[in-house]
Amino acid sequence: MASIPTTRRGLAAAMRGAARPRSLEQQFQAMRLSAKCSRCLSTESFQAAPEIDSEKIQGMIQARHARPVPVSPSYFSRTSRFNDSYLALDKLLRIYGNLPIIPPNAVERVSWKTLDDFRHAVGEQVRATDYVKCLAIVKRLHQIHPKLKPAPVIQALNDFKRSVQAFKNETVKQQLDKYGRSLGNGRRKSSSARAWLVEGNGEVLVNGKTLADYFGRVHDRETAVWALHATGRMDKYNVWARVEGGGTTGQAEALTLAISRALMVHEPALKPALRRAGCVTRDPRRVERKKHGRVKARKRPAWVKR
Amino acid sequence: MIIRNFGVRHGRQVLSALPSAPSCLRLLSTQTTSAVAGNQDAMEQLAALSATHAAREARLAAKRQQREIAAMPSNFKKFVAYQKETEKLGSEIERRYLPDEIIRNPPHNASLEDLLAAQCHMGHHVSRWNPANSRYIYGQRSDIHIISLEQTAAHLRRAARVVEEVAYHGGLILFVGNRKGQMPIVTRMAELAGACHLFQKWTPGCITNKDVLLQGGQLKMVDETDRELKGFEEHLRDCRPVTPDLVVCLNPLENYALLRECALATVPTVGVVDTDADPSWVTYQIPANDDSLRSVALIAGVLGRAGERGQQRRLEDAKQGIVMWQTPKDVKSHITRVNRKIKEEVEAKRERRLAEGGADENGLKPADLMTEDEVLAEMFGPGAVPSKY
Repeated sequence: MASIPTTRRGLAAAMRGAARPRSLEQQFQAMRLSAKCSRCLSTESFQAAPEIDSEKIQGMIQARHARPVPVSPSYFSRTSRFNDSYLALDKLLRIYGNLPIIPPNAVERVSWKTLDDFRHAVGEQVRATDYVKCLAIVKRLHQIHPKLKPAPVIQALNDFKRSVQAFKNETVKQQLDKYGRSLGNGRRKSSSARAWLVEGNGEVLVNGKTLADYFGRVHDRETAVWALHATGRMDKYNVWARVEGGGTTGQAEALTLAISRALMVHEPALKPALRRAGCVTRDPRRVERKKHGRVKARKRPAWVKR
Repeated sequence: MIIRNFGVRHGRQVLSALPSAPSCLRLLSTQTTSAVAGNQDAMEQLAALSATHAAREARLAAKRQQREIAAMPSNFKKFVAYQKETEKLGSEIERRYLPDEIIRNPPHNASLEDLLAAQCHMGHHVSRWNPANSRYIYGQRSDIHIISLEQTAAHLRRAARVVEEVAYHGGLILFVGNRKGQMPIVTRMAELAGACHLFQKWTPGCITNKDVLLQGGQLKMVDETDRELKGFEEHLRDCRPVTPDLVVCLNPLENYALLRECALATVPTVGVVDTDADPSWVTYQIPANDDSLRSVALIAGVLGRAGERGQQRRLEDAKQGIVMWQTPKDVKSHITRVNRKIKEEVEAKRERRLAEGGADENGLKPADLMTEDEVLAEMFGPGAVPSKY
């Protein structure tokens, strides 16, 4: 006889409550019950529903005491995340500082985060001097012999490595394609050139024109094919090139580099000869920017006595 | 001519398809190949020779270095084993001076001898004194004020007691020391006392303008035994940053802005006051030399140990149910709000389930229950109830 006959919410709640059943029972007893109560009513003791157990309700906060405290002990400095990692590194150096280190030239090259990268990563305006001190510790820890480097050190150093490690890049060895062509890129000033070199009899096409049509100046024509000329390969290759940007000089010199790089794919042994001819190194000079207070990059305004 | 051109044009394609084709076609050229490497004179040859020699030397050196590096781990292992073996040999030095011993293992209290040994008594040149410190000054010697170490010891004991009790009452302590070389001291003491540290410049406004400056500071909610509590994420996101309940400053002279903010926010401060400092800047003065790292390390060490004792006492008492701090009002209201909301949700869910004809927690469905009319009919007989009331 467990059912409790009502739909009324108040009654149901009262019967669920632990404190009430006795009085409710008494009430029921006080009522004169007919003998034919067959369905549910009874004076027998019944099991009341348990109280809502707050422990079992998920998400409810059980704590009697709670107070907010800072996560980091560097809470009151403006660079708390940086300070934490700096102190952690300092501690690591104190613990593992006596492990043997390898000479700097044998250490694996790593591109560390720049100050801007690091600031971006931690979201704090870290001071440059502090970051330099931190990086010095990082580099010292990185010098520990790789076989003896403890796991916490490796983990701590990972936070300071850039996501892209340029030193791990391997140079792609250029090869001839299936038609026997080699491709070389070259840049100079603001021009860029791509030259395809194929064995032939000395024909040169630049942007669809012959060398003489494309370059008005003789000097530029000579410069463009200087790599072939200097190595005596003028009549052994055909060149098909695209040049963009810049002026004629820049384009011609971009072509030199492009052709020489393409030539080195055909004949790698020519590299020293090409270097002597000045066709291997990219000329990094660009137009110098204009400065304020100057007429051009360096030209000063005319000086008048008064 | 035509045949030759044919050969040049079509043979090129055929040959280039082969993997190692390229150099045959060059031979078809009419021009003689100029010898690029052939016209070197003797000097150049000599230079080349010496260059190859240097390259060989470099190669050998690199190999030697590689061997050395490869042997390092085993050598180091041997070294460590040897060191361990010979550790116990020879005479035993019982007491020696280790500069960072006072930081690693600071004393619980400082005797007058300790204070004297740490040069806590050295004040500044007499011309630089602040007359407010006259009660702490024992005398002067070679134009330098000597701080009375009895005063120092007494004030240090008082300050240590303050730190201990603040830690015991669950307060947030901040150790500040931003002179050069004070970083290890401050961080170690904060670690001992379970406190915060500051070894850089105090950003003015971190107390008076905390809502702006400490906005991104991470907080966590802990209970009386310092366990992190769940369910406060929303509250921690929206609540105001915290302020320290006690600030310990090792160099008050450089921290005018901090101490002034503390005074405005009625945060008590403990400070090491040298003869040139103004003692009224801090609540609890400790007259001592603040220029020597040894002196500062000793004083900070005693305070750190006091904080450590306070934290230990607090945690021990918390295990027995004694908690000396109160939950902040906003946290309390957050707890009630969350709990009420969850309770209501559960109730509503239950109601909904019942309304849909599902069973309640006793396995009863609405169909099992009698309506009010039925109850009355059962009690008083079928005619007792009017059909409508």
